[in-house]
Amino acid sequence: MSKFAHKHINRRSVLKGAAATGFGLGAASSVYLPTAFGRQEKGKVVFWTTHSGLGFEAMQKIGEDYNAMGGAHEVEIVQRPPSSSNETDSAALITAVRSGEGPDVYLLDRFIVGERAASGLLEDITPLMEAAGDDTDLSATFAGFAAEEAQYNGAIYAMPFDTDLRALFYNVKLLEEAGADMAAWDKANGPMTWDAIAEVLHSLDVKDNNGALTQAGFVPYFSQGWHYTYGFAFGGEFFDYENCEVTPDNEKNLQGYQWARDYCEASGFQELYDFRQPSSRPGSSPTDSPFIQGRLGAMISGNWEFAGFKEYAPDTEFSYTFTPVPAEGDPSVTWAGGWSTVIPAGAKNPEGAYDFMKYMTGADGQRTYVEINNNLPTNLELLGDAELLGEDLKWFADQFETTRNRPVLPVGAKYWDEMTAAWELIYTGEAEPADAMAQAKENTMADMEAGGYCPIEAPE
Amino acid sequence: MDATSGTSSTALIPPEPAVAGVRATNLKAGPWWRSRTERKNMRLGLLFISPWIVGFLGLTLYPLYRTFYLSFTRFGGFLDAEWIGWANFDRLLGDDLFFKSLYNTFYYTLLAVPIGVVVAMMLALAMDQSLPEIPLYRTILYLPSILPLFATAFIFMTLLDPQQGLVNDMLPAIGLNPPNWFGDARYAKIAIVGMAQFGAGQMALVFLAGLKGIDTSLYEAAEIDGAGVLNRFFKITLPLMTPVILYSLILGISSGLQVFTQSFIITNGGPANSTNFLVFNLYRNAFNYSNQMGYASAMGVILFLITVALAGLVFFTSNKWVNYD
Repeated sequence: MSKFAHKHINRRSVLKGAAATGFGLGAASSVYLPTAFGRQEKGKVVFWTTHSGLGFEAMQKIGEDYNAMGGAHEVEIVQRPPSSSNETDSAALITAVRSGEGPDVYLLDRFIVGERAASGLLEDITPLMEAAGDDTDLSATFAGFAAEEAQYNGAIYAMPFDTDLRALFYNVKLLEEAGADMAAWDKANGPMTWDAIAEVLHSLDVKDNNGALTQAGFVPYFSQGWHYTYGFAFGGEFFDYENCEVTPDNEKNLQGYQWARDYCEASGFQELYDFRQPSSRPGSSPTDSPFIQGRLGAMISGNWEFAGFKEYAPDTEFSYTFTPVPAEGDPSVTWAGGWSTVIPAGAKNPEGAYDFMKYMTGADGQRTYVEINNNLPTNLELLGDAELLGEDLKWFADQFETTRNRPVLPVGAKYWDEMTAAWELIYTGEAEPADAMAQAKENTMADMEAGGYCPIEAPE
Repeated sequence: MDATSGTSSTALIPPEPAVAGVRATNLKAGPWWRSRTERKNMRLGLLFISPWIVGFLGLTLYPLYRTFYLSFTRFGGFLDAEWIGWANFDRLLGDDLFFKSLYNTFYYTLLAVPIGVVVAMMLALAMDQSLPEIPLYRTILYLPSILPLFATAFIFMTLLDPQQGLVNDMLPAIGLNPPNWFGDARYAKIAIVGMAQFGAGQMALVFLAGLKGIDTSLYEAAEIDGAGVLNRFFKITLPLMTPVILYSLILGISSGLQVFTQSFIITNGGPANSTNFLVFNLYRNAFNYSNQMGYASAMGVILFLITVALAGLVFFTSNKWVNYD
């Protein structure tokens, strides 16, 4: 039996015990006080990202390098689970900021900076830049399209980080077997027309006894074959600043969608859709991609694919060329996305946040990111560095001049979702491009009008 | 605590033994607040249920009030909410996507709930067999229900894959054309209805408890009178199970109208908005789009009213078909 078993516990003994415990804890914590105060001397900057793998490793290295400089602030790099498969979903960030637990810096998809700025989620960093005596002309430091996406209605809300560009990737062996003119596919000879690639790629379609495609030349909407891809490639526009309206039904956009619809019809709407399905479901692995499996002749995708090719299909010869053009002699136009650093509303250390953002998106931070994650930088200082970028990334960087970005709108996410629903109807043959996009326009404009956003300042 | 202490009126009531659940003070005349003991009991009672009270006030009642308030505003979550009167509701009336998501939600609920009742009843009947190894069968039948919806979603994505899925491999054998379940607007909702049946085990347990509560002598008497299996089911089991069916219908309607996770994980509302359910649409407006929190709240208010109306309808018509004997 325990020697304490017979003792009564009364109120006095409980109070005495509590006082002793409190005193003990206080004494113990005082041992650590100098360290705690030592930490507080440096302003803590909390950085959140939803990146994983090499991207996150690179950001950790950037954080370590920043802290090693021994400045006034110390950054903590925190990995957060991605919200969902939908890139416009910011639920986790919104709820964290609302509850006062948001980070000081957040890595946000640059395309929704305007959207989040309009709702008040982001801090305008222009005053911080001015206070630090920095140039508020972002295009002096970053690629033009990236600088444009970081601003909304004349104010700066983000600093651009990396970017990604779209191009036409192809499987060399499959094309050779189909008897394609490989010189025409060589990027050194400039872009091909959409009709020229269609002719070759249709011949690569192979069906089994049930009529299902076992190999396809091209799936217009696979990977990065988005509404924006075809609209920009055919010379279209997505926003009319003068009339303050979205223009998914721009005549040239519709030409692009018609081309994609015709291609799908010729290969079989349902057959192409079924062919793509296993690789498009959430949680599918890179090896589910028919392009990696060597069953797809060509695809529109981006510069991030190189790492996957190397890892999952090292023996297959892939190459790439310009995004095709509507007619011979037209310029090839592609579009870019990418990420940017922002300061969410209510950040506890905005000065420190801006200091870290400047380092991360500056030449040193972006260089580390390119070295580890092999991504395209947006910092102008690095774009001419052929040694850093290597042959492939350099080629992509050279396309920046004709690269477009999605318009920065307070309804950017809604616009994307509406066009995506319309795009599905188009490539499955359920609707004509003009009808589907007219509906997308009407639905998006309902949000524009309800928000009272007009007029929207055109980017310089 | 002395349960009989208190007012003199106790003397008028014949003394009763203080058996579990029945205390002499309950039988006293007069309002409870006149009795010191009862006041103390009330205080203690409230103290014991205070976690629920705090939860109800903070996590149900306040959000409900706030949703109603926000539905009359333009709000993005950060800047001040701007009062715009009925504008959000006006806009809902002209929003095709809202009506499409409402249609999708009703389609799902009207299919998934009745099918769910039938499946749960079948599972309960299977669990009710008197076999020595029945605990094992009950476990197997219940097992899919404990899987989180997230895991079930991934299982179904694999099962219903148009090219590599088990279901589509088997369909040609019975002469059916295998569809592209989640990729075809005509089948996506049906696939999600099928997926919902994976969780029927939960309700089957309630049904099983209902079945166990039916007096076996009724079956014995019916059997002596020559009633077959079907007759016994339709004349005895089904009528006596109607209170449980009512409970499952009300619960099913409420959760059916809130269907969200499946489209959030599997289809992202597509293809072509065919799985854009009302709560999915609401979520997108609240968290993906800027300054649409008020509009999303208006959708929430409509959903709340529809749920109350449907549950009320089922409840008030229940006296025509629910048997409480």
